[in-house]
Amino acid sequence: MKRREALAGLLLAPVGFLGYRALAASAPPQREVNLTVATDGDLLAFTPVELSCPTGARVHLTFHHTGKYIRQDHDWVLTLPGASDAVAQAALAAGEAARYLPPPGDQQVIAMTPMCGKGEQASVDFIAPAPGDYPFICTYPGHAGFMHGVLHVTR
Amino acid sequence: MTISRAMRVRLALGLAGALAWAGAQGVLAAEPQSPDQVHMALRILASVYADMESKLPNQLDRLAHENEEFHDGSGAMRDAVAAEPAAYKSRVLAALDKAVNDSQAVADTSKTHDTAKVRASLDTLAASMRALNGLFPEAVRAEPGSVPPPQHGGPPKT
Repeated sequence: MKRREALAGLLLAPVGFLGYRALAASAPPQREVNLTVATDGDLLAFTPVELSCPTGARVHLTFHHTGKYIRQDHDWVLTLPGASDAVAQAALAAGEAARYLPPPGDQQVIAMTPMCGKGEQASVDFIAPAPGDYPFICTYPGHAGFMHGVLHVTR
Repeated sequence: MTISRAMRVRLALGLAGALAWAGAQGVLAAEPQSPDQVHMALRILASVYADMESKLPNQLDRLAHENEEFHDGSGAMRDAVAAEPAAYKSRVLAALDKAVNDSQAVADTSKTHDTAKVRASLDTLAASMRALNGLFPEAVRAEPGSVPPPQHGGPPKT
């Protein structure tokens, strides 16, 4: 009996392997997407204010603080829909010691860069969530009301 | 004493020329050499002003920081008019210095935590910023209040 099972296993193994290969080939490959967003110079605004990527994509986002004159920090924080105010409040509560970043592990934050001073840039990698519109903001105190945009995640 | 007709024509032409020259000088004085740079500088100051206004009434302690940003932002205007004729530049810088001093007054007043006084000092700052804008053609102006107030909440839930 054991010999028969072993033989069957040996015979079926290539079939299983080929089946797996066929499945892997039919699954859509995970796309890699590079996104770039910047401050609008010294103004309290992002440019562009709308970004897009397909769901499931491996996103590499680069944020550039292009300010030249004003000593103010900015970051880029992607939140769950409808959560941008709560995240901005959480960052404000975290205070200067935390550089006004949302607390680590905040479930309403999908991705965020560190705070950047003028001329600095930072990047973050994340997997694009389910299709939908996701707000992004700067969490430096008072900036979220001016500095916001939307990441459109498509199917 | 009589003036000949030829002399009258010469005088009239001379007067018209002088008036035209003076008018041209006035227009040139109001037309900056770097209008885009001036416009951006005015937008930066208007943006900081909008941020200042958004701190009323509950975040008065942040106004000292916004005042520093206004000081920083004034550098954009100094750079923008650096190459202007001396007389015009001095008029712009005098108006800018007035605005910077009024911004400092906003920060100083914020220490009182008296919202009405802070509001009054912000209005004074807005007036001096409008005077600064008035030195430039309408096309490059960015008056206080031209930056929309902050909007919260992001896109609707999906």
